[in-house]
Amino acid sequence: MRIFLRTIFDKTFTIMTYLVVLMIVALLVIILGPMLSRGLSAVIFKDTIEFRKMQFALYNRGNQSRILQETKETNAFRQKIYQTIDKFKQGIDTEALTEKVRKIYREFGQQLRYKELPPEQFTILRTQAKEIRDKLETAFASQDKSEIASCINNVMQYRDDQRFKDTAADGFFKLALEFKNSVEKIDLSKHYLYVKSLQELESLITELLGPRPDEPLPSTAMNQFGATRWDIAQRILDKILWTEQWVEHKPNELLVKIKALRAEQFAGTDIEPLFSYIKDNIEEMLKPKAKFYWQYFIDDSTPGHYFGGVGPEILGTLLLTLLSMLFAVPIGIIAAAYLTECSSENLIIKIIRMCINTLAGVPSIVFGLFGLSFFVLFFLPLLGFPSKPCILAASLTLAILTLPVMIRASEEAIRSVPQTYKEASLALGAGKFKTFMKVTMPAALPGILTGIILSLSRVAGETAPVLFTGAVALGPMPSSIFHSTRTLSYGSYDMAVGDRIAMMVPHNQYGMVATLVILILCLNIMAIVVRSRMFRKLHGH
Amino acid sequence: MKEEDKNMQQSALNTKKSQNMKIIRIERKQTMAPKSLDSDCSNCAVISSDDFSFYYGSRMGVKNITMGIYPCSITAIIGPSGCGKSTFLRSINRMNDLIPHIRTEGTLKVDGQDIYDKRINLISLRQQIGMVFQKPNPFPKSIFDNVAYGPRLQGIRNSEDLQDIVEQCLRSAAIWDEVKDDLKKSALALSGGQQQRLCIARALATKPRVILMDEPCSALDPLATGKIEDLMEQLKTSYTIIIVTHNMQQAARVSERTAFFCLGELIEYDLTSKIFGNPANKQTEDYITGRFG
Repeated sequence: MRIFLRTIFDKTFTIMTYLVVLMIVALLVIILGPMLSRGLSAVIFKDTIEFRKMQFALYNRGNQSRILQETKETNAFRQKIYQTIDKFKQGIDTEALTEKVRKIYREFGQQLRYKELPPEQFTILRTQAKEIRDKLETAFASQDKSEIASCINNVMQYRDDQRFKDTAADGFFKLALEFKNSVEKIDLSKHYLYVKSLQELESLITELLGPRPDEPLPSTAMNQFGATRWDIAQRILDKILWTEQWVEHKPNELLVKIKALRAEQFAGTDIEPLFSYIKDNIEEMLKPKAKFYWQYFIDDSTPGHYFGGVGPEILGTLLLTLLSMLFAVPIGIIAAAYLTECSSENLIIKIIRMCINTLAGVPSIVFGLFGLSFFVLFFLPLLGFPSKPCILAASLTLAILTLPVMIRASEEAIRSVPQTYKEASLALGAGKFKTFMKVTMPAALPGILTGIILSLSRVAGETAPVLFTGAVALGPMPSSIFHSTRTLSYGSYDMAVGDRIAMMVPHNQYGMVATLVILILCLNIMAIVVRSRMFRKLHGH
Repeated sequence: MKEEDKNMQQSALNTKKSQNMKIIRIERKQTMAPKSLDSDCSNCAVISSDDFSFYYGSRMGVKNITMGIYPCSITAIIGPSGCGKSTFLRSINRMNDLIPHIRTEGTLKVDGQDIYDKRINLISLRQQIGMVFQKPNPFPKSIFDNVAYGPRLQGIRNSEDLQDIVEQCLRSAAIWDEVKDDLKKSALALSGGQQQRLCIARALATKPRVILMDEPCSALDPLATGKIEDLMEQLKTSYTIIIVTHNMQQAARVSERTAFFCLGELIEYDLTSKIFGNPANKQTEDYITGRFG
């Protein structure tokens, strides 16, 4: 019976351990899985012609003739949209029409002046032109179709007049006809609604397709291109096709969001078929292609984090990490050597050890503020360098942050080296220093590397210590250690809280976080491989 | 020498000697090493300890040891656990310095020089007195680097010289044939017996005059032990060897002289055949015959 119980307990224990391991693995998968998969969407995605244009314009990448060819093909499909909108606009955009009429009137006046007509005729023509102008303006402003018709008819009377032939006044009649045609299908009572909806539609189409080919390029890069990614294009298409409205279903209740077809807003007009056209031809307009954008890891980003990659961030993170390790590792090992080899257990050592343990628990923001006040404001000016946040100050701060971890890990590693090694070395006539350098240190190196791995991960991911001492959200590639730099950790933080442009490109946010995780993973794997090789070499397996 | 041996054998046969003789022998021992030894190799004791005591803080390690150790021979130290054998052995090359709060009294001389003198050069002392430890403790380095460790410390950088020294030492330690093909292999990959012989080779590489062995075979199987014992037999022609052992058969097999320690004191020190054949002291006899207690 007792043996039976014991086996049951044994089995339960085994199962429990399996379960715990499984849980940890599941947790890792749950945490890392979505992050990595979303982060990968910054690198592997379907790009559009706009992306290729952007890559060519900003990074000088890609085949120019092919891009031009594709641009031509897509523009052919886009042209219909622009034409339809322009045509519809003529019946809608009364302000622009009025402006045009006035312009024609002014031009006509100029022409008359150069014709050297007799003064009476000049006056008559001016008056008639003025009448036409006023009638047209009345027609534009009117919401009554019969009134418009009579005004247009009035204007048209002058069309066959020889005096207006081949002058600027021809523009009047052309405008009148166009207006007449476009107004026919429009419910004029909805005039202002149309104007508003059209504006929205136009800005959405610009977002999708970029600026029109005949328009001058906007100055900021983010407005120069349409949707560069197929997923974003899909999202914009959804916005184009559907409108969201907050509607009160019942009084005194929360508003309810409903989706409605945007086409309904333009029911019966020329715009209505445009929606199905966009929906059917969006592939021809954007030419999506699968893309592996590996340059994401080396590209600079512009503007903000809108286009491009995380090259400077990776470089900065590596620089900071390695430089801080350069400071922390030797100091950590020497301190650990002192604590283990050169000192006996007395009060001072106890106090030092307590201090180290306390330092390990200090919040990182405190280190950041310390770095600002000590390294940036005191130490750098003391050495004659400009007192501003820079890589040197940041890496020194990070080194201090990670020193306790480093010291404790090295101490453990050195302590775990068998005493017999030291005895053998001493018995062969080596001094304390030689014994440490030639026997203890090499034997402790795998353990010390563990400490370095722990420190590396911590340093690469820390935001707060570099916040004030050397990290910037945007800036040029650092050219020396006295410049500030971008880092992945600070970049992620900044994109999450401050950068409005970055919020429009969530894939870049995910990408940056995933890059940080992958970078740390790579550093760790590297260190683990080095450690295991070293271990194997030491033990001859 | 032969005469002495005959004497020894005779005395061994006469196991039941009178009490007076024993008392006389003890008195002799307390004055210095046995007279017979003095005549054999007069005034050439490499290591001579004179009323040497060793304390760990307030705890006594060994007390009033007076003995001389003679060159080109094997001296065995036997005794029950905690009797101070290892303490005495480690005092000879000052390995006990690693322990805090130690204190010595009396003198311990190597080549006539007091090694607990403050002016002594510890490094050259330890190079002259090699040591082999209880557990084989090769460094986690290659076989070559293990043996070359000592010479390198002495400043020998020339790779050909090092090669020669390593080969010579490995040959002397009777392990050359087993490892000559993979000197670059980690020493930890060797078997226990090989490791211990490597440690002996490593100790030989600093060209010591004395080799201290602290239970060198206690972690080895009989076969490896046999090899180490053969090796000691070869080495004693050119080195002075002091071996601490729990194995009395081993002491009887390999050593010329044997010292019996008990509770930190030297009880008896004589030729091995005498100690095992006809011990002068009751305690020694009890210990050797297994009636100790």
